[in-house]
Parts: sequence; structure tokens; C-alpha cells
Amino acid sequence: MPVQLRARFSPAALGLNLLTYAIALFVFFPIFWTVLTGFKSEADAAEIPPVLFFHATLDNYRTVFDANYLSFFKNTVLLATGSTLLALLIGLPAAYSLAFHPSRHTPKVLSWVLSTKMLPAVGALIPLIVIYKEVGLFDSRIGMILLYAALNLPLVIWMMRSFFADLPREILEAAIVDGARFHEIMTRIVIPLSAPGLAATALLSLIFSWNEFLLAVNLTSANSGTLPVFISGFMTSEGLFWAKMSAASTLAVAPVILAGWLAQRSLVRGLTFGAVK
Amino acid sequence: MTTPSSSLASPAAGLRPERWAFLRSPRLASIALLAPALVYLAVMTQAPFLLTLWYSFHNWILTSPELGHRWIGLENFRYTVTEDPIFRSAILNTLEITAAIVGGSLILGLCFALLLNRSFPLRGVARALLIAPFFVMPTVNAVVQKNLFLNPIFGLVNWVATSLGFNRIDWLAVHPKTAIISMAVWQWAPFMMLILLAGLQGISDEVREAARIDGAGPFTEFRRITVPLLGPYFELAVLLGMIYILQLFGEIFVATQGGPGTATTTVPYYVYQTISQANDVGTSSAQGVLAIIFSSIIAALLLRLLTRTFRRELTS
Repeated sequence: MPVQLRARFSPAALGLNLLTYAIALFVFFPIFWTVLTGFKSEADAAEIPPVLFFHATLDNYRTVFDANYLSFFKNTVLLATGSTLLALLIGLPAAYSLAFHPSRHTPKVLSWVLSTKMLPAVGALIPLIVIYKEVGLFDSRIGMILLYAALNLPLVIWMMRSFFADLPREILEAAIVDGARFHEIMTRIVIPLSAPGLAATALLSLIFSWNEFLLAVNLTSANSGTLPVFISGFMTSEGLFWAKMSAASTLAVAPVILAGWLAQRSLVRGLTFGAVK
Repeated sequence: MTTPSSSLASPAAGLRPERWAFLRSPRLASIALLAPALVYLAVMTQAPFLLTLWYSFHNWILTSPELGHRWIGLENFRYTVTEDPIFRSAILNTLEITAAIVGGSLILGLCFALLLNRSFPLRGVARALLIAPFFVMPTVNAVVQKNLFLNPIFGLVNWVATSLGFNRIDWLAVHPKTAIISMAVWQWAPFMMLILLAGLQGISDEVREAARIDGAGPFTEFRRITVPLLGPYFELAVLLGMIYILQLFGEIFVATQGGPGTATTTVPYYVYQTISQANDVGTSSAQGVLAIIFSSIIAALLLRLLTRTFRRELTS
């Protein structure tokens, strides 16, 4: 029993607890401050010393929505969900195949899949710009969905393979003996049983697409631009409108932080491609 | 209907030693499930790399179509490596910034992980607050830090500094690298924390208890038990961190635009400048190829580590 290990009440433990709380609040503070500034008037936002008590206003959110923010928001949602769905559609069968029909090539295939994620995106950027302009995919949502799906495919394959490999084999065995076919096994057994893992994988894929910037800033403009591009543009055009900038930032970041918190339990597994559980 | 069961229902299936042998359907089926993903990945991610290589042997300026694209062999590489002082400083900047971010976030992440690896009230809340920065999009991180915090006149950091009697500093102008590094460390410390925390939780209580019974103090326990057992997790955190942080772009794009001068111009940012401002396909491709070669070395190390873990998992 680890009873001796659990620190009984002691000043040292209390001190460490307080230190942990203080550090956690300090680390979170920039996010808190941004949210707070989003509700200030522009005058209050630039006040020195900073004001903690102010007359809260929703004006910034109103102005932000006027600044064609909505179209960027819509693009981000479409690109993130579209690419995630596409990656799952192509990646789930592959993960199934790698988990349940491993061959001597499986480790090699998995390394290759992962290696595509590790090379710098700038190495692929130039042909993408040239080709996308040539074939009319430049600044199109479809073009970005196709790309983001490819970026998230290694994550889907690695993570889902690792979740599939954890499934109790007796149930699958029984289904096979009963003569179930692939899509039945998939929709009735494999996917429901690995639902938490699937949800975490989807959330991580959404997060990565949502935040992606290098490709977005080079391959999109007015038509299919996403929130990271909007925020970087907001900067140059709006100068010192901090309250508005904070409101726009809050709206761009809040969904991702919530998604991240939801995916917390499988986060490490996703970030390390299943190496750490 | 009978096709799948015919090959699977053989009575010997359950007796085979391989774990999933009972599921083994015709080889073709498993390839059919796998092939679309592999083809898709090859087309979308590998083909562009090959094209980058191809372009890098050409003289090709997008804004001067009349010049066409002429094969010039290794000229772009010769220029980039031997004549372009900015590329050289970009490599040094990239190494310096990446090393500082990985090192800084690793140390902070370890501290966070050690603090969280105890049982105390509100542990979940503390953990949630500590991981939040990792999800903030890089452009928002840079916009917020640059203005609300680091602005020389109205920024919070300078308000605190001057209130404490220090001098006002325009961080992004005077210490641009430090500013970029601090932004990124804030973002990546949670990543390191998550991996190291998973490692800490994997160290069994028995091992610790044994060490304590043998008279190890907290410091000896940390040095003799925690650090060695965390080894593989450190390795994983450093390599994965490097892969991602070498590609740092959004922070630099928003906060410094590679400046002042070329003080924070990293390889990714320089490639971006060469293609989007000079429209020079050939030179930017050569830079891209060099970046790929460099990253491949780190990627190879990481892959070896991950496949080792993967093999262990297969055999266990």
C-alpha cells in the first residue's frame, strides 16, 4: 500500500501545493488576460497601470464580427471538419489493416507513414504553390481540405492502430466466426468499442487543422482564409486596437482549448503517435 | 457471404501463435484497406518533395515568365551554401532558437510534471490550466504577447518591470530572439510536461518505496530513480519537440517578420521570404531541400526510437 508515500499533512506539501497553484495561474494568465481585454473598451485596454475593474462591453465582439470574421470562422470550421472526416475515411481502414493483419512489412509501413509527418512543410511548400495556382486549387477550400487531410493521416493511422490493437480479441473472434463482414465489424464492433480513442483522434486532428498557419498563409487569401491568417492580418491593418484584437483572439482560441481539454485523456498518446499511453 | 468465413473459420485458426491470426483474411483484402491511405500520402506529401528537388536545379522566377525555367544544375545550391550570408545566419538562428526552446520547455515541463505527479486537491484543474497554452494558435500567441505583454509603452511586462524599478525595454527590438523563445517556451512547456508526466506515472511505487527503505533522500531518489527511468521519455520529448520546433513559423511571421534585420530569420521564414517576396522558385527550392536533409537526420533518430517502442509493444 502506498500509504506511506502519500504525504500526510505537512507544511512542505502545503507549500508545494500553493506553488503548483501559483504556477498554474501564472501560466494560464496570458489566456485569461486576453479574454478579459476582449471585454474592455479600447481606452481601458491600453490603460497603464492596467485596470482590473471596468465596464464590460460586447462592442469588440460586434466589430470583430463586422470585419468579415465570420467568413474566416466558417472557412476554419469547414477546413478542419472536412479534412478530419477525409483523414478518418481513408485512415481508419488503413489502421484496421495494420492492427489486425500485421505482416513483416508493418513496421516499415508505419515508419514511412510517420516519416511523412516529420519532414518540414517548407520543403513541400513551393511545388504546392506552383501546382495549386496551375490547377486552380489556390485559395480553394477543397485544396486546403485535401492538404490538411494528408497532414493528419499519419496521426489517424498511428493513433487508431494503437487503439485497435488494444481491443479485446475475443469479441472480434466471435464476430468473425459468426460470418460478419468488414463493414459490419467496423460499424458494429470496432468503432463503438474504440469510440473514446476515435473522438480523441478526431479532436486532435481538428486542433491541428484549426491552428495550421504556414500552408494557410501561403495558399489562401480572401476566399478560403482561416482564422490564423485572419489574426495575422488583423494585426497589420488594425494597429493598436487591442480590445478588438483580444476579442478576435478569444473567439479563435476558445474552441480549440475546449477541444483540447475534452481530448485530455488521450492527448499524450496522440502527441507521441501512440508511443506513450 | 461465405467468402470471408471460408478462410477464417478453419479450426486451426485459433491455435496459431500470431495474435491476430484468426482474423487473417486473404492478403489482398488487407492491402486493399491499406492502399488508399498510402497512395494518398505519397501523392500529397512525397510528390511535392520530389518536385522541390526538381525545381531546385532550375532558374525560375515566378514574376519573370519570359525567362522560363532553365536547368542550371547545382548553381542554386552553390549560391545558397557559399554566397548567401542570410541563409547561413538563418541556419544558425534556427539552431539557436530551436535549442533554446527545446531546452527551456524541457526544464519547465519537467518542473510542472514533478509538481503534478503528487496527489493534491484540484490537481485536475491545475493540469488543465497548465496544458492550455499548447492549444493556443501560434499567430494568436504572437499577436497577444507582442502587444498586450511586450509592447514597450503599454505592455504588461514593462509595467511590471518599471514598477519594480527596472528599465523599460523594447523586447522585440532589443532582444528579439529572447522574445520569440519565451513565447514558444510558454507554448511548448505543456507538451514536454505531458510526456514527462506520463513517464513519471509509469515509475512504480514499489521502486520508489524500495529506494526510500534503502535510505534514499528526495534528491538521491530523483537522481538515481527518476532521471534514469525517465530517460526514454526525455529522448522522445526532445526529438518530437525538435521536429515541430524546427518548423516554427507563425510566431516569427507575426512578432518580428524575421527582424530586426535578419536577427530572427530562421530557415522556414527565409524560404517563405524567398518564395513569396522574391518569387524565386529555384533558390527557395534549394533552401527547402537543404531544410529537408537537415530534418531527415533528426527524423531518422526519432523513427528509430518510435519503432523500437512499437516492436516492444508488438512482442509483449
